[in-house]
Amino acid sequence: MDMQLNELQQQISDACGKILERRAGPGRARALRAAGDFDRLLLTEMAEAGFLDLFGEPEAGPLVAALITQWGAQAAALAPIGIRGLVAPSVIHGDLPEVIAIAEQGAMGAVRYGAEADMLIVLDGDEARVARRGEFKAETIKSKFGYPIARITEAKGEALAPGAGAIARRWWRVAIAAEISGSARGAVDLTIRYMGDRVQFDRPIATYQALQHRIVECHVSTDAATWATREAAFRGAPVELAATAAIIASEAAHRVFFETHQLTGAMGFTTEYDLHLYTMRLQTLRLEMQGLRAHARDLIDARWSAAS
Amino acid sequence: MDFEWAPEEAEFRHDLKTFLEAELPENFDAFAMEPDEQKAFSKAFAVKLAEKRWLTPAWPKEYGGLAQGPWQQLILSEEMVAHGEPRTAQYMCVNWVGPALILAGNEEQKAYHLSRISRGDVVWCQGFSEPGAGSDLAALRTKATWDGSEYVIEGEKVWTSYADTADFCFLLARTDPDARKHHGISIFLVPTDAPGLTISEIPSIFSAGTFNQCVFDGVRAPEAWRLGPENGGWPIIRQLLVNERVGVARFRRAAETLDRAAEAAREAGLLADPVIAQALAMARAACEAARVLIYRVVDQRAKGEAPEETAYVYRVATIRAERAVYEATVQVEGSGALLKGSFGAQQFGHALASGVATGTLEMQLNLIARDVIGGGRK
Repeated sequence: MDMQLNELQQQISDACGKILERRAGPGRARALRAAGDFDRLLLTEMAEAGFLDLFGEPEAGPLVAALITQWGAQAAALAPIGIRGLVAPSVIHGDLPEVIAIAEQGAMGAVRYGAEADMLIVLDGDEARVARRGEFKAETIKSKFGYPIARITEAKGEALAPGAGAIARRWWRVAIAAEISGSARGAVDLTIRYMGDRVQFDRPIATYQALQHRIVECHVSTDAATWATREAAFRGAPVELAATAAIIASEAAHRVFFETHQLTGAMGFTTEYDLHLYTMRLQTLRLEMQGLRAHARDLIDARWSAAS
Repeated sequence: MDFEWAPEEAEFRHDLKTFLEAELPENFDAFAMEPDEQKAFSKAFAVKLAEKRWLTPAWPKEYGGLAQGPWQQLILSEEMVAHGEPRTAQYMCVNWVGPALILAGNEEQKAYHLSRISRGDVVWCQGFSEPGAGSDLAALRTKATWDGSEYVIEGEKVWTSYADTADFCFLLARTDPDARKHHGISIFLVPTDAPGLTISEIPSIFSAGTFNQCVFDGVRAPEAWRLGPENGGWPIIRQLLVNERVGVARFRRAAETLDRAAEAAREAGLLADPVIAQALAMARAACEAARVLIYRVVDQRAKGEAPEETAYVYRVATIRAERAVYEATVQVEGSGALLKGSFGAQQFGHALASGVATGTLEMQLNLIARDVIGGGRK
């Protein structure tokens, strides 16, 4: 066990951090959202640097792919880093396009990056198929919840190997948990700064114990989601750990959404202030894959449904 | 960063599990025993552990330990609590009373007390809390006054677990009433049969014998009972309370209770009930959150750092886990959770006490706030 980055991981962190610092950030996310766009440039740069193809690399592997997803979300990157770096390579070997979306058969009414994707992975129970551009139809839906969203009206495509749906589902959960934990960390850090700046009754609101406890509870939930995600990725996303990470992350998403907005007051409702760039995504992420209900069901089935 | 157990750690866990499964009945729970029965059992069991040097494996070899590192300490704690914590009060002796003696004891104190602890031959209680000193422990007023030949101890300690069965009390008392409050405190190693010390039970909503009051009425304490320098007790305590806060893998015991409750739910055909399913899943997730968060604490200790914020974060996660497991058990059992021996009745005390004992939830939140809001998060 070692909870600190090793030398290679640190090098990747430094290099990836430089790209995110230059290309991502709340300002960039705001501009992209205003234009109804997403960050293809960022994805391209990360792909060229090799940061989206580490899943199968023995020295890096899924843990580093999950870390990159967390760092990207924390930097408010508006791009499907987790799906491209963590989910797609778990079931598709070989060259991948940069922009990939994922959906479940029967639940394709609100798919992140559905209209922008070069490739769509469709899960159907334990099976999956992959549809390339031209093999699926997507209608953009106007959404305030942080991401470009589309309705998939048709998706053909080619079947993946037997059982690919079950595998992709596990990694999708880890990717969701990674994005939640990164976005939640961004929201918590921003709120802590706000609490230090915002003065009421002649004191920064960060000095009030009642408010301190609320943001600290968010910090604990975010830490839990961060580390549960990392462990699940490291261990190859077994059903139980992946579902557990997603549940922990769902709890964090729920708590961080309401508490950071509460602590930021009306300023947090404005699009001028950065908070919504992190928090509105949390709503989308915690409902993806049918949310807690589905994560809980898979955890129950994996851990307790068979007679011991 | 990696989450792989080293081969020797995996082997240690395997050996421990094999031993405990052979020695203990299925679903053993020492905390379900009556106090006297529990003390007798834990003493006898500690002897078996001591024979394998598994009672004090983290201690230095010169004191009868195996000099094992923090990761093995975690494994030991996890496996012990997963098997009903057969050491009961011994964990306290081993986790922090012993280390306190190693840190600050003189040769006579080490020779006498460490050998007894490492044999499992003794039970300690901690004389910390007072009616006016709970979260603000340094506000304690029990005083030890030097009369020229001995200290004379006057005061009252409350909520003292195991005092009714303990042989010694690890006592904090004020030796300089004029010093600033953290600076005038000393530690005393007081036999519980010392004249002037009266121990009586405080009736509580928990099982019998959980809480005790210790009244010190002119207890005469020779200088040899003082641990460490006069007025120098607080730094020792501060260092060792981290052991107390993370020394018990509570999440693992809670997870074991949850597994048994879930098994009962499965047998009763209740796993499909959405309320029960959600409660079970949330509780499992909460236990797992605490488990993964203790890794950071142990990692820091293994690297020679003194964990603070990460330890408090872990404690908060543990409290959440204890409460979530209680909620899951009551959803599974319904009003059956009110009955003695039910999962709910077992978990009730843990869920309630975890947010108060060994530092309240609010203190943990304050301490985290100091780091993440105060000086800025690293």
